[in-house]
Amino acid sequence: MSATQSSQHPVAQSPAELELAELIVNALNLEGVAPAEIDPEAPLFKTGLGLDSIDALELALEISKRYGFQLRSDDENNVRIFSSLRSLAAHIQTHRVTG
Amino acid sequence: MINLCDDRYRFLVAYAAALSVGHTVLLPSSRAEQVVADVETANAGSYRIDDAAIDAALEQTSTAAINTRIAADMTAMVGYTSGSTGQPKRFPKLWRTVQGSNERNAASIRAGIADKNAAVWLLATVPPQHMYGMEMSVLLPLIGDMAVHAGRPLFPADIAAALAELPRPRVLVSTPVHLRAIVASEQEFPQVDVIVSATAPLDQPLAAAVTAKLGGEMVEMFGSTETCVFASRLTAREDQWQLYEGVRLEPRSEGTLVHAPWFVEPVLLQDVVELLPGQRFVVRGRSSDMIEVAGKRASLSDITRRLLAIEGVREAAVFQPEPDAVGAIRRVAALVVAPNLTSREVLDQLAAGVDSAFLPRPLLIVDQLPRNEVGKLPRENLLRALRRE
Repeated sequence: MSATQSSQHPVAQSPAELELAELIVNALNLEGVAPAEIDPEAPLFKTGLGLDSIDALELALEISKRYGFQLRSDDENNVRIFSSLRSLAAHIQTHRVTG
Repeated sequence: MINLCDDRYRFLVAYAAALSVGHTVLLPSSRAEQVVADVETANAGSYRIDDAAIDAALEQTSTAAINTRIAADMTAMVGYTSGSTGQPKRFPKLWRTVQGSNERNAASIRAGIADKNAAVWLLATVPPQHMYGMEMSVLLPLIGDMAVHAGRPLFPADIAAALAELPRPRVLVSTPVHLRAIVASEQEFPQVDVIVSATAPLDQPLAAAVTAKLGGEMVEMFGSTETCVFASRLTAREDQWQLYEGVRLEPRSEGTLVHAPWFVEPVLLQDVVELLPGQRFVVRGRSSDMIEVAGKRASLSDITRRLLAIEGVREAAVFQPEPDAVGAIRRVAALVVAPNLTSREVLDQLAAGVDSAFLPRPLLIVDQLPRNEVGKLPRENLLRALRRE
């Protein structure tokens, strides 16, 4: 999946969002979901992509490997961070150590 | 009372209040709306309590005397399992029953703590709403004289931070899913004195890795919604379960009958066990309809029935593929014949009645189920269809 393809898609993802979308789809084996087609503003959990806390744990592990920091869920930003691909990508960009 | 409080302290307040006025707490098998509503319908006069309701109640000061005597024969809670027939099955527990098993839970945890007189602090990564979380994070504080952290941390970094807030000796109550995440993370942890795991079998290498990372003794509990915990083992060093004192197992053709002095009557489990000398046993299998994902149990036939109840779904087969890698979480998979629906539409409807852990992944829409010449669905055919062969 290249960035060119995603830019042709009506849903505009930034390169960082596409990279995160690819990580999510690969880490969670989301069959039939094209990373470039994940709406960056749609919810990731419950509705939307329908992820749950087991996915969140796997995602946290992959994010720590790729970006070098540990996700936290119990700070007040929790709800906002996980509300969409866009907010999670933004959170990663401000906290990333590596990658 | 259907206690939906997220915060463990508020859950405890609600539970203690219910006990003091003689109300039974109902534990639906999941917090999915339809599942809660089913339990509500089946129990006329039941009501829901959540964090906001407790906050509102705590703001009103009351001078009324509080009843602190709980009758031994009061029904203290009713656990529900999803059941294969679709009707939730109810398992009522008397106060003396939960007291019997939880005094022994407390003893098996304290056995791993050097200072026998120390105040013990619990942290649980599981919700209080199912039997294991109820026993370990609600009843141990009430019966076992232990203190509990109000939170329910999820990520390894959250768990480490919450542990650091507790004095020692500290006990982590968790599941194989959370423990696996802890071991895989690069997070550093404060020393833990006892780690408790239940809900799904913990393998010995993971138990050893947990002990190496967190320190302390790894105690695995064996129980069910039907029985509460009745055996334990130190998984890092032994694979045989040790029955709690007074418990007796009786193998039957359809499973195992569990006897305990604190039960109202013997309870039949679907596990097949082999009895060993010294009040010990090993598990040899389980009825294939009941499955476990991340410590939650569900019935494959119940999920299938709920799929078939969706308008537009003609046929469905739900099954559990083999894990593709060690430690990978096994989700259930489903093949569904529904010519006018997408996989997403089916999943969205199913989500109202099925816990997210059991939403099939993948759920493939197929033209027909891969039946063999006699119309059956051999597992091999299901797996091949899943690989799209």
